[in-house]
Amino acid sequence: MRAARKYASAGVLAVMLAFTASPAIADEPLFGFVYTTDLLPKDKFEVEQWLTWRAGKGVGTFNVLEVRHEFEYGLSDALQVSGYINWEWAGARNNNVIDGSTLPPETFANVEVPPSGDFNVTKFTGISGEAIYRILSPYIDGIGLALYVEPTIGPQLRELESRIILQKNFLDDRLVFAFNVTHAMEWRYLHGDPGALPTDEEFLDHWDKETDINFAIAGSYRFASNWSAGLEVTNEREWAGFDPFNSSMRTNVGYYFGPSLHYADEHMFATLTVLEQMPWGAKDYANPAPGFVFGGRNYADDFERFRARLKFGYYF
Amino acid sequence: MRAQFVLVPFATLGIVAPAHAVVYMSVAQAQAMMFPGATFAPEFKTLTKQQVSAIEKASSVDVHNNDLKVWRVSTGGWFIADQVVGKHEYIPLALGLDAQGAVKAVEILEYREAYGDQVRNPAWRSQFTGKKHGAALTLTKDIQNISGATLSSRHITDGIKRLLATYAIAIAQD
Repeated sequence: MRAARKYASAGVLAVMLAFTASPAIADEPLFGFVYTTDLLPKDKFEVEQWLTWRAGKGVGTFNVLEVRHEFEYGLSDALQVSGYINWEWAGARNNNVIDGSTLPPETFANVEVPPSGDFNVTKFTGISGEAIYRILSPYIDGIGLALYVEPTIGPQLRELESRIILQKNFLDDRLVFAFNVTHAMEWRYLHGDPGALPTDEEFLDHWDKETDINFAIAGSYRFASNWSAGLEVTNEREWAGFDPFNSSMRTNVGYYFGPSLHYADEHMFATLTVLEQMPWGAKDYANPAPGFVFGGRNYADDFERFRARLKFGYYF
Repeated sequence: MRAQFVLVPFATLGIVAPAHAVVYMSVAQAQAMMFPGATFAPEFKTLTKQQVSAIEKASSVDVHNNDLKVWRVSTGGWFIADQVVGKHEYIPLALGLDAQGAVKAVEILEYREAYGDQVRNPAWRSQFTGKKHGAALTLTKDIQNISGATLSSRHITDGIKRLLATYAIAIAQD
């Protein structure tokens, strides 16, 4: 709790400093969780901060704060590259909806935790690179199309995320719709599980493999100069291993929905999105029914009740 | 603890400062630059629904404001002050037309975006000179796009097309 207060206070301070130090003056990420095809022009750069809060597992307490420090650069008008540093804090207690034990978040799965003890850990997650290449511009071609790739490497973590981004604008570009399909391959180094069969891979330390495929759609309307408001919907699907065409390897499904608010001016922007997992469509294929589905929502692995993301950045 | 985290994003949005306006030229300065020595008689109009419909049909561009700020120029011609949609804010601009309704000059009065101020470049704006209602004005075909300033380039091009239609439908016919 004390650590949580410390990070919350530090977060508030960092945000306040970032904004009060900026001459008031704008931009691109209209959404918190959905990408658009707007990129930095050639030779322009930007610093961006992300704060993602994930909370609620149906029972007990569960909070994760993910922090990302990002630098973006326009290699050309159609190719943007970025690099970022990620770290996160997690606190949990008695949050397992199946047996009331304490269950660490998926990203902390290799950390030992007493079955009913407090979990309170901060860690460096890893560093990531990102490249987005725009093939079609919504301002010239009528529809935007971009391809995205993001490798991440960290202690006991490897991840490769790729994404197709579509964008369509209406009402003189004041109404923007975006659609993303995301494919992510994750490798997490996990300690052996003594309870597993000796013949199982989980019995020994191993690299656990997972595939995430997400579908997301969002719309945002610029209701006043500098201000846009919108809605985001995401459908997240997970598989054990790397074969998403193998239905027997499906593990989890969840749906999220919520509003977003975006402000941007000449040099800075801030975007806030708050999503809640919808009480429908949730599936936990990996455990006997109802598994981690509780109250219609999935609380397995990296699924939770609420997600809020704040992005803010400065353009140079 | 949860309440504290909730406050983080809301605290941020609450202290966002208002934007600075960067004014490059006033309406009076644009008038003097486009028509040296002339005097300007305001003939402001409110477009009728029929005129708006005709302008949108003729230009394929939406009319956001029915109030038209137009001045008759003593030496012949017309001066129009208008604005088009920018990335975050409207881009105020001025259009000077000669007595025949052809573009004499385009001036960007204010530009408040981080990128794309190349639309203020005289060489880019001069592409509109001499254009009349009915002329082809398609970005990337008839008007060169400014890479990195595509949204502004498109909206200014569309805005000129709309104002030329406005001249033909609501000014020249009055």
